[in-house]
Amino acid sequence: MDTRDTGSIGTGNVVHRHHDETRHHFSEILDEIRNGMVEMGSLVVENARRASVALVENRLEMVQGIIDGDKEVNQRYAELERLTFETLARQQPVAKDLRFLVSSTRILYELERTGDLVVNIAYIVNDLHGLPASAQLRSLVERMAAASCDLFATAITALGDLDEVVGRRLDADDDVVDELVEAFYEQIGKEREVIGLEAGIALNRLGRFWERIGDHAVNIGENTVYIVTAEFPGDTHLALRDED
Amino acid sequence: MSEPMNRLVTTPAAVGDSASNVASAAEPSAVFSVTDLNVFYGDFHAVKDVGVDVKEHEITAFIGPSGCGKSTVLRCFNRMNDLIETARVEGSVRYHGVDLYGNDVDPVQVRRHIGMVFQKPNPFPKSIYDNIAFGPRIAGFKGNMDDLVESSLDRAALWDEVKDILNQSAFALSGGQQQRLCIARAIATSPDVLLMDEPASALDPIATLRIEELMHELKSDYTIIIVTHNMQQAARVSDRTAFFNVSLNEKGQRTGHLVEFDETGTIFTNPAETATEDYITGRFG
Repeated sequence: MDTRDTGSIGTGNVVHRHHDETRHHFSEILDEIRNGMVEMGSLVVENARRASVALVENRLEMVQGIIDGDKEVNQRYAELERLTFETLARQQPVAKDLRFLVSSTRILYELERTGDLVVNIAYIVNDLHGLPASAQLRSLVERMAAASCDLFATAITALGDLDEVVGRRLDADDDVVDELVEAFYEQIGKEREVIGLEAGIALNRLGRFWERIGDHAVNIGENTVYIVTAEFPGDTHLALRDED
Repeated sequence: MSEPMNRLVTTPAAVGDSASNVASAAEPSAVFSVTDLNVFYGDFHAVKDVGVDVKEHEITAFIGPSGCGKSTVLRCFNRMNDLIETARVEGSVRYHGVDLYGNDVDPVQVRRHIGMVFQKPNPFPKSIYDNIAFGPRIAGFKGNMDDLVESSLDRAALWDEVKDILNQSAFALSGGQQQRLCIARAIATSPDVLLMDEPASALDPIATLRIEELMHELKSDYTIIIVTHNMQQAARVSDRTAFFNVSLNEKGQRTGHLVEFDETGTIFTNPAETATEDYITGRFG
């Protein structure tokens, strides 16, 4: 036999590979989905903070950037939903893996909806042409936006770490957002003569949008708890909870 | 004579090296191109008009009901059907562009490049070490055999389990370990392609998942074609899936044919053919 036959057999040096986990490839896909949702959530938070700045500083030139930013969020949504769907079909997930993938479809929806709310806030920047001069109103807008953004960022952290404790805490933390929104509505009422009807309606919607972002954060937290524990907080399915 | 043809006929060394260099980054190049493949056993028309491209460094799965011809087609890739006297292969099976059934192609050299792993683990009645060393020795391997045995067993995710019992009989291993030994044996001679005919159907679920994980690791170095009855396995492990089905021909014979061939994600989420959907959703016949 020609000795050149053997030239390709063996490499000389033995380099050991890592064969750590039985379903390493599947775990990598799950990590990809989780990391993808965290990135998507971070884009939403970043966009929301920009919307807050645009609102308070009446930066009309920022509006288009916020709208464009949401296109990236939507793109990620489509990709991750497809990957989640395909993984459900191909990997026969059970137990925690199944809860994670089914919850991912819900969480992706929460993330996408929140992105849309941020765009709605950006449109209000266009509509308002500057917040009313009232220092109290402006302060409430800033605090409400900051509390909502912080809550959403915390929800993303809970999801990224699959942290049941933080996930569970979000519902109580959301009370801060709700209280600020209530105070904001009251202040709008007090200043309605000065603000006028059109701006009053826009501000009312603004309060609603920040409040809804807080609610989506809570839902992400509750889905995180469900992934980890197989139960929703308070043992009640999200859909059966009384909306407050 | 072309480079791959040259190798098949005389020097079977280093196929993977030179062949992979021509692959484009975007679309993997085809290791096999099959067109109008028909296989007969005597008068029996077993497989009709099959065409598939098998891409480099991918796992291609063949699925379908019994008698659909998937194993018959698999055996055309390393001329295993030659070993059946009445078998006749028509059409074209090109391996890196070379006609595998060309007159000057040596089937023994073909099988050096295109290794095979069978349904039932079939280690030689020899030590674990000698199971790996056997093929390279026959091929006149003159390098460091200890290193070759170790790296082959490590590539097959078996080294840690057997490193202290290399001189024990291969039959002392569990079924899953024996199958990984057979994979290590197949890769010890540095093939380009691994054909796997139901490689996990005799194994328990965990051993099955270990083989699948191993396939994922191996595809960075090899091109793999797997035949499986277990369509969930095809879904988990493969990049592309070919669905074969059986139909009655004009003589009333059950002839296999290719129904659909696509990316595995597409096959299992949105197949183009109703027959594929019926099969994968368990609504078949």
